[in-house]
Amino acid sequence: MLSDPAIQGLPGKVVPTGPAPTPGLLADMAQEEAAQRRVADLEKRFGDPEDPANPLSAAHILAADEAGELSPAGEQLLDDLVFNAEFVPTALGGRLDRLDTLVRMMRQVFRRDVALGLGYGITSFMAAANVWTAGSDQQRRRLADLLLDGQKISVAYHELPHGNDFVRNEFRADPVPGGYRLQGRKEVINNAASAAAFSLFSRTSENPGSRSHSVLLVERDQLDLERFSVLPRYHAVGVRGCRLSGLDFADCPVPESTRVGAVGQGVELALRSFQITRSAIPGMAIGALDTSLRTVVRFAVGRQLYRRTVMEIPHASATLSGAFLDLLICDSLALVGTRAVHLLPDETSVYAAAVKYLVPKMLTDTMYDLSIVLGARFYVREGEFGLFQKHVRDLPVLSLGHAGSAACQATIIPQLSRLARRAWFTGDEAPQALFRPREALSGIPFDKLALASGRDSLSASLVAAVDDLPSGSPEELAVQALVMRMLDQLRQLQEDSLSLSPLDRTALASPSSFALADRYAVFLAAAAVLGVWRAARDGGDSFLADPAWAAAALHRLARRLGQRPADLPPACEGRVHEEVLRRFHERRSYDLYDTPLAG
Amino acid sequence: MSVPATDRPTSTQHTEHSVESLSSWLADRIALYLQRSPSEIAPSVPLAEYGLDSVAALSLCGDIEEDFDLVLEPTVAWDYPTIDALAGHLVEELRDVQSEAR
Repeated sequence: MLSDPAIQGLPGKVVPTGPAPTPGLLADMAQEEAAQRRVADLEKRFGDPEDPANPLSAAHILAADEAGELSPAGEQLLDDLVFNAEFVPTALGGRLDRLDTLVRMMRQVFRRDVALGLGYGITSFMAAANVWTAGSDQQRRRLADLLLDGQKISVAYHELPHGNDFVRNEFRADPVPGGYRLQGRKEVINNAASAAAFSLFSRTSENPGSRSHSVLLVERDQLDLERFSVLPRYHAVGVRGCRLSGLDFADCPVPESTRVGAVGQGVELALRSFQITRSAIPGMAIGALDTSLRTVVRFAVGRQLYRRTVMEIPHASATLSGAFLDLLICDSLALVGTRAVHLLPDETSVYAAAVKYLVPKMLTDTMYDLSIVLGARFYVREGEFGLFQKHVRDLPVLSLGHAGSAACQATIIPQLSRLARRAWFTGDEAPQALFRPREALSGIPFDKLALASGRDSLSASLVAAVDDLPSGSPEELAVQALVMRMLDQLRQLQEDSLSLSPLDRTALASPSSFALADRYAVFLAAAAVLGVWRAARDGGDSFLADPAWAAAALHRLARRLGQRPADLPPACEGRVHEEVLRRFHERRSYDLYDTPLAG
Repeated sequence: MSVPATDRPTSTQHTEHSVESLSSWLADRIALYLQRSPSEIAPSVPLAEYGLDSVAALSLCGDIEEDFDLVLEPTVAWDYPTIDALAGHLVEELRDVQSEAR
């Protein structure tokens, strides 16, 4: 197994540590080929989801879910690949060099099973992001070794009484000579019973405010078993294979070397590492919608009603095209979010919050739209449509966790008036590389993420595009008209943001502030769609270069904003519908990558 | 002929800010966030004790930047958690900006 080219860079192998290659065509090709090879290898190993003999088939994954377990074959597959290496930076012997590539890999897992993606890996990645951001060399090395050895790491922020208001958390690490004494509980923690280490968000000072917490990376083996216990397992509505429990510490000593970063840096560190995880995780979950859309297309082309196939019923066909467009919108925003971490790290706080707010919400809404086409089958837990129902149950978990929708809006709200004053209609546009899914990037600048920014290059890209849009075909004219509407929306956002009262810029803001954050997130999604289309126009993917999808996607976003844009040229709908069918028959993914799928 | 001590430039840009003037500006502004009267906010008590949340603390930072034309770390209200501490820090920041401008 170790000679497999897909698992290079494991301990014991020589990892080149020279300077990153200058981003250029050769580097683009090399990174892109490597990413495609890894994705294809993973997809091949997962195999045909319809084959009953495949232990990773939909039926087996459903059976594991019914039993409240992660798929044993799925865990084995990821163990064999040392999949944890995806979460470890290349400089530490892993395979993490680009956040968008991590999303691409994880999407193949989420495509099959959200619980496996979350339970096997994501919480380890969230815990690790703290250490990559602020850990000492020794902590980084140790965590890399644990992960590359296949161990799980739990991320323990949550305390039920405080929800996302983690500044009020009570779990204490009381300073004592040489270290800390841990006291209290962490609840609903994934893999708490089995993880080799825990990333613990802990109160290190009695004072109120945002300088009273620190993050500790504590290994299970360091703990006095008399003073530490694992709480009973929680049973959730979705992701039923995930082993969610909790931790209870009773005056349990740990050494000072467990602290990640400076004393009192916990909130700041959390907000910085959240930018990485918030940007990345929603994009992974797009895989679940991708599979669900394929399931419903199969149903629609196969089933006869009123003497025609469901696909020939206009409402059903429009719903499927709409779901495909939503998927492309989500992927455009997720792409920009992950690439911004590399290219615009000081602007990422707002983009990451917009991704984490809007993408899970759109995925959940779109699953509901699709369920209407499936009709009664949507209610069945087993067989061909059982996996669809499982994805419906599992996806909402993404809107929970450490950054609920409201918490993400609350990250955006205090920045709106600053952006309105300083950024909108004045700043420089983003580099084109922000919008190119296959262009090379250099490593993740963990140390450059900022808590707030006075710039918004993504919005500036839409503003700058206005004077430079093609206007030859009806589809291009439609894009142009919709972009003008979006420009009006930004003007309106600016006006409304400048008139927010102080109370409306706190966590207790009125619903209208939250609505403003929602409109801004939708606007950013429109800017992402426009950027992806414009960047695709100079070659490569002929579908992404076609104005038809861009016009149709912007049209959907305009309607989401409550606008009533003019009808699209009829050819737009036809082009999108044709692509829905092509990708179904050719077994290609519905996201920006048009990836060949197994089976 | 001596210049009277009260004869100060009136433009905000050139006003000499004092800890007192800044404390009073901050108390007024924070009172708006907390929906209280400025006199209820003791200058030596951490603002978080009055319920000023981390979101409001970021917004406050933006207000200070706007009114005093400063660029601040977004965490400034975390590191200087009382009106006294924040006013003292702002006086220094403003002094630095003015000496750079000269």
